[in-house]
Amino acid sequence: MIAPVGYALVAFVVVAAVATALLRDVLAAIILFTAYSLGMALLYTLLLAPGVGLTEAVIGAGVTTILLLLTIAKTVRPTDGAALERPDPRAAVACGALALVFGLTLPGLPAVGDPDSPVVAYERVTGYYLSQSYADTGVENTVTAVLAAYRGFDTFGEATVVFAAGVAAMVVLRQEVFT
Amino acid sequence: MIVEEALLAAAGALVVLAVAVLYRAVRGPTMQDRVVAVNVLGTNTVVILALLSAALDAPSFLDIALVYALLNFLMAVAISKFTVDRGGVM
Repeated sequence: MIAPVGYALVAFVVVAAVATALLRDVLAAIILFTAYSLGMALLYTLLLAPGVGLTEAVIGAGVTTILLLLTIAKTVRPTDGAALERPDPRAAVACGALALVFGLTLPGLPAVGDPDSPVVAYERVTGYYLSQSYADTGVENTVTAVLAAYRGFDTFGEATVVFAAGVAAMVVLRQEVFT
Repeated sequence: MIVEEALLAAAGALVVLAVAVLYRAVRGPTMQDRVVAVNVLGTNTVVILALLSAALDAPSFLDIALVYALLNFLMAVAISKFTVDRGGVM
């Protein structure tokens, strides 16, 4: 019963993503990107990774939208009437072919909760995290524990990248404080 | 069991309705239509999350629903303010 909800969500996400790519007005594209983020957060939640869904909600829909709005304040709107970009046929074919190739790999993935999937079959690694993650980290959700605790140095590196990007942006804008 | 199935079915129906609302967000024609459409989508998401939370017996989903309820308001205000005096978001 849960699968049809997932398929409907995937359709929603794909439509939102294509519309975001094709809309000519940047503001409209940003609004559609918010809708895309809503769908992705729901998908993550449906796949039982609420921590990732929460991050997608806050970063994807919240922070990114505000940052993009601040950015396009420096741009102008397209003046002619057409609402949707007419994509270059070769680019459209290339994108479609890439999506098709990725799509062809989907049947190779194990079903959600499949007992024969490699993740479950190699019991030693998975079993360790499932049984020990709470004792090791004190985080109840295993996905969140892996992201925030076991992969802590990786997340720390990501935070460093974000900090460096912020510093670089301020250097480019010749500002000493965030306004 | 039947209750869970019914809740999931309701969630699926709301996702299908979200696709219909997405048409308004893509088509516009004005920016106000799009803002209202995304606002409706956000409210829709909150309801879907609440239904999934009840159906899958996962109370932690309600936290995400709360975050969305707060965020949805912020988004609408930010985009509206941007469209009223283009350039000023904060």
